[in-house]
Amino acid sequence: MLLVARKNLFSERTRLAISVGGVALSVFLISLLLSLYRGWDEKVGGFVEKSNVDLWLGSEGAEDFLTAASLLPTEGKEADQAKEYLEGYPSIDQWSPLIVRLMQGVRVEKTSPAEEKVGSKIDLHFIGFDPTTRLGGPIKVIEGKDTPGPGEVIIDDKLSDRYGFAIGDTLRAGGRDWKVVGKSTGGDFVATQTVFVTHAEAQAALRMKGATTFYVIKVRERVDPAQLGAALEEQAARNEAPIVTHTREEFARSTRDRVTSNVLPILFVVLGLAFIVGVSVAGLTIYTATIEKSREYGILKAVGFRNTYLYRVVFEQSAATALLGFVVGIGFTLAVGPFASDYVPQFVLFTRWQDVLLVAGVTVVMALIAAYIPVRRLGAIDPVSVFKG
Amino acid sequence: MHSVLRMTQVTKTYGSGDAAVHALDHVDFNVEAGEVVVVMGPSGAGKTTFLTIAGALLTPTSGSVEISGVNLTALSERELPDVRRERIGFVFQSFNLLEALTAIENVTLVMTDGGAKSRGAVNRARELMIMLGLGHRLKSLPKNLSGGEKQRVAIARALANNPDLILADEPTANLDSKRGREVMQLLRQIAFEMHKAVIIVSHDHRTREIASRIAWLEDGTFRPDVSTDRDPVCQRVVEVQGSPAFSYDSRSYYFCSTQCLDLFKADPSRHLAVRRE
Repeated sequence: MLLVARKNLFSERTRLAISVGGVALSVFLISLLLSLYRGWDEKVGGFVEKSNVDLWLGSEGAEDFLTAASLLPTEGKEADQAKEYLEGYPSIDQWSPLIVRLMQGVRVEKTSPAEEKVGSKIDLHFIGFDPTTRLGGPIKVIEGKDTPGPGEVIIDDKLSDRYGFAIGDTLRAGGRDWKVVGKSTGGDFVATQTVFVTHAEAQAALRMKGATTFYVIKVRERVDPAQLGAALEEQAARNEAPIVTHTREEFARSTRDRVTSNVLPILFVVLGLAFIVGVSVAGLTIYTATIEKSREYGILKAVGFRNTYLYRVVFEQSAATALLGFVVGIGFTLAVGPFASDYVPQFVLFTRWQDVLLVAGVTVVMALIAAYIPVRRLGAIDPVSVFKG
Repeated sequence: MHSVLRMTQVTKTYGSGDAAVHALDHVDFNVEAGEVVVVMGPSGAGKTTFLTIAGALLTPTSGSVEISGVNLTALSERELPDVRRERIGFVFQSFNLLEALTAIENVTLVMTDGGAKSRGAVNRARELMIMLGLGHRLKSLPKNLSGGEKQRVAIARALANNPDLILADEPTANLDSKRGREVMQLLRQIAFEMHKAVIIVSHDHRTREIASRIAWLEDGTFRPDVSTDRDPVCQRVVEVQGSPAFSYDSRSYYFCSTQCLDLFKADPSRHLAVRRE
C-alpha cells in the first residue's frame, strides 16, 4: 500500500471508523439478508426435498406444499379407480394418501382437573401420514415414539424449542387435543412447523372422511418419477379426472418459489438500499477526506507526482476501507448467524461461501464507486494553486 | 558556470482579444549554477506566472524554457512531472508538507515514487535532514515542528532528488525575522556550496542580502534599470522611481503607498528603530 494512502487513512481514526463502519453496516445488511434468504430457501424447500416421496399427486391447481389446495377422494368409484391404477403400475414401489392442512393450534397446560392454561396461537402444518408406508411422514424422529397412535402427535423439534413443548404435553389443533409423543427434525418451514398424526386420525379430526390432500408415491429404483407422473396425468385426463403430479425437485422448487417470489422483490429493494448506504458512507468520507487534502494532492502534483499516482492513493484508501468494512461486516454476520434463530426463531441464517464471495464482489464495486467521484476531483486540482499562500 | 534555467522570449497570455492579459511579455531570463536570483516586483507583476513556468507547472503561450539543457516547451504534458521531480526543487511559502507523514517521510516520499521506501532514499533523507539541523526531528509530524523547522524540511525535500534548480516562493513570509534569516542563509549555502541555481520570489527586503542579483519584474517584463529600496513602514521592497518619497535626517525614504508615508511622517524614529533591528 502506498505510504501516502496508508498514512492518510490511518492518521484520522475517527473518519476511518465511520467509513469502515458504514461499509461494515452495508456488508452486514447485505450478507445478513442473503443469509436470511438462503436460510428460508433451505428451510422452506427442505421438508419436501428430504422426504421419502418421489412423486406428489394432487388435484388440478395444487402447485406447492404450502398452500396444498388439493382434495382427492380416498373412497368411492374414483378412488377405487385411482387405487387400481396405482397398484397396477409396476414402477411404483409404494404409495399412500397424505393429508396436509395449514391450521392454528395452541399449547394447553392442565393446571388442575377443571382448569387449563392456553398458550398463544401457533401456525402449524398438520400432516396425516400413513404409518405403514411412512411416505410424507416425519423425516427423522429424534425423541419419543416414531409412530403416533390415536390421539397422539409427533411435533417438529423447532416447534418444541419455540413454544416449549415436551413429550407428554398437549397440543390442541383441529378441534382436538393431541398428546405429544415424539419429536422429529426437518419439518421447519420457518413461519410454520410440521406436526404429524396418522392419516386416519387426520381424516377424522379434519372431517375429511373419504378424502385426502395428496397421493404420495415412492418409485422403484431406476424409474424416472417425471415420466411416471406424465403417464399418470395422461391416464387421469382420459378418465376426465384431472390431476397434477410433481417430482420431488419440482415440488420443492415451487414450494420455495411460493415464499421467495414474494420475498425477493422486497429483498432486492433492501439489498439495494444497503448497497447505497455503504457507497454513500464510504464515498462521502473518502470524498471529504480528499477535498480536505486537496492542497496536499496539489503539492504532490507540483513536486512531480502524476495523476495516476494520486488516483492510486484514493483507490487504495477506498479499497482498504472496503476490505476492513467487509471483514467486520461479514465477521459479524458469521458470528450472529448461529445464534440469531435462538432469539428470533424466524431469523434462520444460512451463509454459503458463494454468497461471501458475492458480497466481497459487491464490496469491491462499492469501493470503486466510492473512489470514482474523488478521483474525478483529483484530476481537476491545479498544482499551481499551491503557490497561493 | 553553466546555465540552469534559460527563458527565451517567454510570453504568457491569459484570455484573448480585448480581454487578453500578458502576465509575462517576451521575457528573457537566465540563471546559472551557484547563483541566487531574487525576483521582486509589485503584486500582479507576473511573479507567480514566472515561477510556475520556470517550475514546469505552466506552459508559456510562446517562447522557450530550458532547464539544464532540456527544452520544456518541446515536452508533452505527461513528461513534465518527471522534469519537476528530477530537475526542480520547490520551496513554498506555506511549507506545504504532508501532514500525515513524518518529517523524514516527507523527504523520502519524493525519492521513492511514493511507493516502498528504499534504504538509499532513507539514508539520503536522513543525511539531508541532519545537514539542515533536523537530526532530532526525523520522526516528528509537521504539526509538531516550528515554522523554521517545517521550512527546513521543505528545503530537504526540495534537495532530495539533487535537482539543478531550486524555486522558492516567499520562503520567509511565514517566519519570524530570525528564522527567516536562517532560511535565507541556508538557500545561499545551497547555491554556493551545492552549486545549485536558486530563484527566490519574495517581497522580503532581507532576501536582497543573499542575492547574487535582483531581478525586478513589473507588468510582465524584467526591468534592468530599476533602483529599489525598502519601505521603512511595511518593509516591502519598492521601486524608487515613482514611489512616494520623504527626506528625513538627510536621507531619502521610499514608500509603497501614501498610507505608509503618512505613518512614517507621524513618527519616523519609531519606524527607523524597527528597521535597525
